[in-house]
Amino acid sequence: MTEARATEAAIRLADVHKQFGRRIVLSGVSLELAPGARLGLIGPAASGKSVICKLACGLEQADRGSVDVLGVRLGGKREAELGALRRRIGMLFQNYALFDFLSVERNVAFPLEQRGGMTAGDIASRVAERLRSVGLVGSEHKLTGELSGGMKKRVGIARATVADAEIVIYDEPTAGLDPVTTQKIYDLLAADQARTGATVLAVSSDVVALAKFVDEIAFLYQGRIIYRGPAATIADAPDPLVRQFVRGDLEGPLEDVQQEASA
Amino acid sequence: MKASRLARFVESIGAGATRVAQETGGIVVLTWQVLRALVPPRIDRRELFKNLHKMGNRSVAIVALTAFFAGALMALQSGPFVKKFGATAIAGYGAGYAVLREIGPILIALMFSGRVGANNTAELATMTVTEQLDGLRALSIDPIAYLVVPRVIAMMVMLVALTAIGDLVALVGAAAVARVMLDIEWSTMYYSMADNLKPWDFLLGIYKSVAFGGVIAMSSCYFGVSVRGGAVGVGKAVNAAVVAAAVSIMLLDFLLTYLLG
Repeated sequence: MTEARATEAAIRLADVHKQFGRRIVLSGVSLELAPGARLGLIGPAASGKSVICKLACGLEQADRGSVDVLGVRLGGKREAELGALRRRIGMLFQNYALFDFLSVERNVAFPLEQRGGMTAGDIASRVAERLRSVGLVGSEHKLTGELSGGMKKRVGIARATVADAEIVIYDEPTAGLDPVTTQKIYDLLAADQARTGATVLAVSSDVVALAKFVDEIAFLYQGRIIYRGPAATIADAPDPLVRQFVRGDLEGPLEDVQQEASA
Repeated sequence: MKASRLARFVESIGAGATRVAQETGGIVVLTWQVLRALVPPRIDRRELFKNLHKMGNRSVAIVALTAFFAGALMALQSGPFVKKFGATAIAGYGAGYAVLREIGPILIALMFSGRVGANNTAELATMTVTEQLDGLRALSIDPIAYLVVPRVIAMMVMLVALTAIGDLVALVGAAAVARVMLDIEWSTMYYSMADNLKPWDFLLGIYKSVAFGGVIAMSSCYFGVSVRGGAVGVGKAVNAAVVAAAVSIMLLDFLLTYLLG
């Protein structure tokens, strides 16, 4: 393979296995994103969606299988070797992962400052533009501890997108946001993606809003991707598991729902 | 029944030994990573100066207070014997000897561990459980070089500085108590110290403070970055760091006193 094949996809996971202690999280995940593609990843809670995001960013290593990102095979790479690749990836963490020792403004400026190559003036204007686009004008000098959950999420989005990365990974970009803000955020993400042409991997529990943003949706269940299809028709997917999950039905083949209902 | 109880006892000892070995190994690995980050030096100056100020400047008052009373206690405890044997000429020497070599470095290190080390563990542990360390890694920044190295340097430098300041304050405390409560002249205490104490007495305490600073820094950083779980994990990490530092300080003190005199 495969170096040639790896360069075709922006992100490629092949037969990836991952477990933490005795808990098997991923058991043979294969997933491929073409450059510029927008893929949504859905699945029950604790099904391993965030783990896939971290694998794609090199923050976790697969126990078995291969992960290729932008033509680079991540397996066995040391932290120092992953640095150059990570500069080409933007990531929004589920729990924000904002630096609480820095102000909002410096959080967003941080990736640009660390990468170098920009003047202080350029960084300041870029940060101001990002903060304006996520509606955080006036909060520049606040510490992240002073922000609400929704504001933190928006700071995280501004930080993930400030450097115009080639791949952007959003882990629950709209969790905890009201419907109007959710739509605003997705409009912003879509406009950003259209401008930069970045490859997008987005994890969200809000399937309806996610489906408007991405082209395709993949369903992760019991450690595997069991369905992948067009986002627009996800509610009518041929797989009954996916249909039940998207529609939120209590009756159906999803084992987790059955167990929770009987508990 | 007895056999199973014995088995459980042996098992618990084994589990405890394994945990200690894991933690010691983890601290050694982190120490190696810190040393590697220093060659060539990759230190964020802003982080370093912030930590020097936070850990050092803000600890001066509490360290001075502790040291003053440590010195005062030395004079107070030895006072009755000094008076009884008419040995006021060596009152300052006795208090100074104990303060410079043992009491000063140990008390200040324990105070530093409780104040700065615990705070450092809590900060790093909170950053770990809120994925801030992963956030740094995602931005291709090494959390060890960016967060841990400046803290280790700041703690080691500042504990030495605080010990030197504390030594001086403790000697003043001893002299003050000797004057006020034991009626020994300032000059008697001064000459007793100046004539009898040797530079080595002071240096030994300083060498000890370097070692104590190292173990406080490494244990507080290790338990901070290796934390698991949420708020409960943070609490356990702080507790483990303070206990590990206190035990290491006593152990190191014994070893250094035995080896260096």
